[in-house]
Amino acid sequence: MIVGSQKPIDEIWEMVRDFGRVLVFGCNTCIAVCHAGGGKEAETIASLIRMRAAQEGMDMEVNHSSVMRHCEPEYFEPVMEELRRYDLILSTACGVGVNFLSERIGKIPVYPGVNTSFFGGVPEPGVFEELCAGCGDCILHMTGGICPVARCAKTLMNGPCGGTNNGKCEISQDIDCAWYLIVKRMTELGTLEKLSEVIPPRKWSTARDGGPRRVSVEHIREYEEKEESKTETAGGEK
Amino acid sequence: MTPGKTDSESSTYRPYGTDIKEQRPYSPCRAACPAHTDVQAYVGLIAQGRYTEAFEVITAPNPIASVCSMICHHPCEQACRRCIIDEPLAIRHLKRFAIEQAAEYRKRRRKAVEKTRGKSVAIIGSGPSGLTAANDLAGSGYSVTIYERHPVLGGMLAAAIPPYRLPREVLQEDIDDVIAKGVEVRTNTEVGRDVTLGELKDRHDAVLIAVGLRRSRPLNIPGADSPGVLLAIPFLEDIAFGRKPPVGNRVLVIGGGNVAMDVARSARRLGVKEVSMVCLESAEEMPAWKWEIDEAIEEGIKINNRWGPRAVRREGNRVLGLDVVRVTSVFDMDGRFNPSFDENETAFIEADTIIVTIGQMTDLSLIEGSGVKVDERGRIEWNPDTQMSSVEGIFLSGEVVTGPGSAIAAVANGHRAALAIHLYLEGEEIAGKLPAQEREKIDRMPPEVVERIERQPRIPIRHLAPEVRCGTFEHFEMGYDEEEALKEAGRCRGCGGGAVVDQRKCMACLTCQRICPYGAPVVQAYSTIRPEYCQACGLCAPECPAQAISMASYDVEEIRRSMCETVGEKPREGTQPVIVAFLCTHHVGVHGFRVPEGVRAVPVHCTSRVDVLDILKAFECGADGVAVVRCGVGKCKYRGTGNRVRSRIERAGELLASAGVDRQRTALLVAEGTDGDSYYSVCSDFLDTIRKMGVR
Repeated sequence: MIVGSQKPIDEIWEMVRDFGRVLVFGCNTCIAVCHAGGGKEAETIASLIRMRAAQEGMDMEVNHSSVMRHCEPEYFEPVMEELRRYDLILSTACGVGVNFLSERIGKIPVYPGVNTSFFGGVPEPGVFEELCAGCGDCILHMTGGICPVARCAKTLMNGPCGGTNNGKCEISQDIDCAWYLIVKRMTELGTLEKLSEVIPPRKWSTARDGGPRRVSVEHIREYEEKEESKTETAGGEK
Repeated sequence: MTPGKTDSESSTYRPYGTDIKEQRPYSPCRAACPAHTDVQAYVGLIAQGRYTEAFEVITAPNPIASVCSMICHHPCEQACRRCIIDEPLAIRHLKRFAIEQAAEYRKRRRKAVEKTRGKSVAIIGSGPSGLTAANDLAGSGYSVTIYERHPVLGGMLAAAIPPYRLPREVLQEDIDDVIAKGVEVRTNTEVGRDVTLGELKDRHDAVLIAVGLRRSRPLNIPGADSPGVLLAIPFLEDIAFGRKPPVGNRVLVIGGGNVAMDVARSARRLGVKEVSMVCLESAEEMPAWKWEIDEAIEEGIKINNRWGPRAVRREGNRVLGLDVVRVTSVFDMDGRFNPSFDENETAFIEADTIIVTIGQMTDLSLIEGSGVKVDERGRIEWNPDTQMSSVEGIFLSGEVVTGPGSAIAAVANGHRAALAIHLYLEGEEIAGKLPAQEREKIDRMPPEVVERIERQPRIPIRHLAPEVRCGTFEHFEMGYDEEEALKEAGRCRGCGGGAVVDQRKCMACLTCQRICPYGAPVVQAYSTIRPEYCQACGLCAPECPAQAISMASYDVEEIRRSMCETVGEKPREGTQPVIVAFLCTHHVGVHGFRVPEGVRAVPVHCTSRVDVLDILKAFECGADGVAVVRCGVGKCKYRGTGNRVRSRIERAGELLASAGVDRQRTALLVAEGTDGDSYYSVCSDFLDTIRKMGVR
């Protein structure tokens, strides 16, 4: 899932202070799971902004609301009219949601209430760990299921480097050396000899380096683009 | 909801969560109550000191609630899930307490209901079932006339239940509630003697026969026709109406049911020193409630078990006693009543007066000439799907058709009859529209939950000492005082009042499953909170990042919605701070909450329901400090909530600091004592701290 964390209230305050009516708008999927921007946290941020406004003697209307997901238009279409009552939407969705709403809401600014960080897992409650970098060309079958793109500080394809230090990365004692983990895991799996083959240079154009990416599922697009299919769809307007 | 809201007489009171609860399995107490009284709701309201609201919940399904608060056999208590932990909640006694607290409110609440239906209904009999039907029908705009053969209303409640169990002023309160709706009353009017059923049928649009079982079943043994052999109902009627029945110095009661107990215990109160009972059943098999038997024994009544009456021995008209024979078994292999005897083992029990209490039957005189049919066993024919007799427009309810049962069961049947009559008068089909009696209920509490619940004995119900109570027909049971009632209400585990997940909002994040101290939530595509595990502590709702969890027993947003009202206008000048204190009510209820001036108390059933948002809201509304005051460590009603509450307060402190408010202005305090004073003193200390920091 997408992991993010709340922006400090000072930063948020600087963003919102010049607007009269502000809606803190939460997303109840990934960003709610990481306790940063679901309905609950949207309400918390709204409360803090109101408190700040009162302290500074400013007259602001600050409300909160949330929907299930901010990355598909059907979810916020039912509340679009309500959203347009405000001068500013402070979105606590991930960056995807901010972009997505921004493109659809017209003249109202949409600002971010959270810092979106990475794709991660939840090894234990309250801990979120980056495990995938979305590089677009997965090699996890070659590295024992441990991603050197996301988890090696240098994104080395044939590690470890000389900075490995008793299983930790040279940049911090708190960070595991991905290549140490890869070796350990592949030993466990009995596939260590695979590592004697050098992984060739990668085509990074499938990652961010190739510019913004887009995935199109052909069989769905093919159907959607047929004019007659639109009248058959019961799933709401597009 | 705020206390006293019911004082506004604008609309019918519905407790929070009524609709949610209808969609879910009932708490076992509620399912066991024939009238489905929402026990969890009213006990919860009592625990919060919201007595008038508790009274509304109690009386909504039950127009004879005061009566039930005295004499109900409380199947709710037998079903209470605390039974497997320690002892059941004293539900009936709590009901009594709430009703007593709401006495003034109750009188104010009474008002006539406009007769908008243009149709009239005759109700014959004013016992539990008749009164209930009258209450329902008059309440929905019908003209209702009650015909009662006795000079007072109440049926057996007035004419047979001895006053030591049911003080008549208590019964009168219930009757006054019903009559106040505009019910016409014809007492001293016996149908079949003063007026015929046919005449009533002509006079009204529908007739309900709710006459109960008003004749005592006689015992056909030699000598039973002696003037010294009495029948239970006439004997109890004498007691009820202040006449002294003719009894000797030694009274023997035949029978082992609850009416037999009433008879024997009444005989003791007439001054008879030697009262004994004889019944077919063993002590364990006796149909009377165990507590009735225990109380009778306390009063010096001797019970002869497993003897069958054979003959009344007499000298002329004077009774000498009863010849009895040993009972070898009461029920046959199929569990049917079919006693067998050992004729070789006999005994003689001396007595001057014998009172026969072996059951009751219908008096059929009222239906003579009406066309209402009787079956081959002498019972009035009826259709349980429509509550109707063989004559269209003549309905039946209560013991006359259901057979002997409890008052509250007669209430439930009265509701059905009223609904049937309403449908009939509206020209609608009745069959299939009357509610089913059985309701799905929450399962037994799993053992892993039971072991996590603190043992807490039931607050005893005090009685007058046997030697005192036997000298009088005065009511012998003493009510709870407020402190006792609040403590007892606090024992409720809130079954059926717990967490509910809105599946449209839940994104299966696992938070609730991770934090629940009782393992109630199971998360798959969405979270399901299993009601048999849930203890309604409220810990999960404030943690849910999608705000998908609500509680069936209270509105999780209520505290913050009314917070600004709670904080109130701060003093315009001066430096007196205002602090909001969330106080755990578990040990002191609302009873002991005297708080220093400047402290706004928000009682909560457990601090685990306090949300970070509640704390922030208090500051938004101008509070200078917020204290969350929990009960002493190890004294919490719930397990595993303390650390979670602490971390919420820490988070609130951090958030406040980020908004420029000193984090020391919010704190988690512990009231170590289980009295109001310890809450007072920690609040007072905290107020001093805030005073030193100054107002915001």
